[in-house]
Amino acid sequence: MARDERIAELEEKARRIRAHVVRIAGMSDCHTGGSLSIADMLAGLYFHTLRVDPGLPGWEGRDYFILSKGHCVPALDAALAMRGFFPEDALTTHLQLDSIISGHACARVTPGIDVSTGSLGHGLSIGVGLALGVRMDGAANRVFVMIGDGELQEGSNWEAAMAGAHHKLEGLVAIVDRNMYQTGPTEEMMALEPLADKWRAFGWATRVIDGHDMAQIVETLDALPFEKGRPSAIVSRTEKGHGVSMSIHQHMNRFDEAQTATMLAELGQGGGEGGRN
Amino acid sequence: MAKWFGDVLVELARQDPRICGVSCDCWGFLGALAAAFPERAVEIGIAEQNLIGVAAGLAARGKTPFAIGMNPFVTMRCFEQIRTDVGYGCRNVKVVGGYGGGIGYAGWGCTHHAMEEMALMRLVPTMTVVMPADAYETEMATRAAATTEGPFYISLSGATMAFMPPEARRTFHVGKAVTLREGSDVTIVAVGPTLPDAMTAAEILTRKGVSARVLNMHTVKPADREAILAAARQTRLIVTIEEHTVIGGLGGAVGEVLAEAGAGTPLKRLGLQDVFACMVGRYEDVRERFGISANAVVEAVMRQA
Repeated sequence: MARDERIAELEEKARRIRAHVVRIAGMSDCHTGGSLSIADMLAGLYFHTLRVDPGLPGWEGRDYFILSKGHCVPALDAALAMRGFFPEDALTTHLQLDSIISGHACARVTPGIDVSTGSLGHGLSIGVGLALGVRMDGAANRVFVMIGDGELQEGSNWEAAMAGAHHKLEGLVAIVDRNMYQTGPTEEMMALEPLADKWRAFGWATRVIDGHDMAQIVETLDALPFEKGRPSAIVSRTEKGHGVSMSIHQHMNRFDEAQTATMLAELGQGGGEGGRN
Repeated sequence: MAKWFGDVLVELARQDPRICGVSCDCWGFLGALAAAFPERAVEIGIAEQNLIGVAAGLAARGKTPFAIGMNPFVTMRCFEQIRTDVGYGCRNVKVVGGYGGGIGYAGWGCTHHAMEEMALMRLVPTMTVVMPADAYETEMATRAAATTEGPFYISLSGATMAFMPPEARRTFHVGKAVTLREGSDVTIVAVGPTLPDAMTAAEILTRKGVSARVLNMHTVKPADREAILAAARQTRLIVTIEEHTVIGGLGGAVGEVLAEAGAGTPLKRLGLQDVFACMVGRYEDVRERFGISANAVVEAVMRQA
């Protein structure tokens, strides 16, 4: 497949992830903003980069993905369903009794999720442990950890960043979803800049990209690991709520029926392919 | 105890390739493992949250990590990582408190007192909590942790090289209290560093005509319900003694069993009575002032008699 076609296909996957997030917000409260900002990266990861087997979620050779910003699980669940870990219909049961679709990433209930998250600042340490375990096995599985930018205010991340570089975990990748918002503007609440310099200072090979540009995402993921003997960090500059006008800079949304239809129409996913109206 | 534990760990690691060690500036416990299997011993530095997160990650890869830190810090600083990444995550992580259990640091300051370690670890669903008395129990507890699936907390720092009498060896089972001394009037329940106090008190009480049973409750969770209720039926008073707050640790565990069974036998909990043991002085001085001693046990018994 030509490269342009491949990019277009991944962009369509991202739109579909966003449409699922909108539909979930049409049924129940949903952490829309941070789910929508990671949609493009998740499309790149699950449909281009990650070595996973939906038929065998526990496959020993799989790449690990940890969503440290666990409240943005609606987007991850959408990607997992689309990748075939469970039927896309299941997404309509968000928060319902005994559903496999939880409010925060839960490995106990959702196929394809390796690590339960929700409390911020836990994912990267677990990623360091997984990467060390992979090295003990002499294996080549890679470990991807997606972290929110506001989440980096938790000091535990920097303990893990220190350890990842100290132990030269080349197969470890931290992806920072730099959407600039937590409950308010991150740089006003507790500034993180110069963020890429912080990662470099901690010993990580670091790249800053436009996290909504699929060509850049693919090129960056294809370039991993960025340097021999170092973990890689991607500062993915995004917009909280990207692609859905009512979710821009919003932490949570609950859409009524008309709003849901309007937002799906914005995505070009109104009643067509994959749509559920 | 560091070397003893380290040697046991290496032996277990030879038998089971999943076993590995993670240290939080406690490399003395892992030196032997590092010499035998360099890849399987990892230093994390002074960073308890990362220690436990890394251990949870290793377990997620199918390893059996022993994560070692100082008792007060490895239970408090990273409690959420233990509760969420190990407990909720169903990870086969063995948390080991290597230094500074109970009020072992005495007059060096309350920052270094692990007066909540048992209470905190008991709170984590599926966590087993063991406090060995000596090298023998340390070895047995470590073996049990290595071969039992699920989270374990082992508090090593109260253990001496030899405490358990030879006849009490061969009898270690997780969840089973050891009767160190038979008695029919009162029962003294102790754990780790308070066992010598319990034995001394029992001797003094015998001279006063009181027959005291002594239980070594090395496993605080799950508590040995059978042994506690037998003591409640067969003796008139139960005294617990621990280097710990009386809330939620050994005294708490024994009290829960007694109350739920409707046993009605009086319980006296010796330990820190909802206070910090804040004073400068020797270990013995601090224990005596805060009522953690053989004398305190004897007084508690004679007041009830």
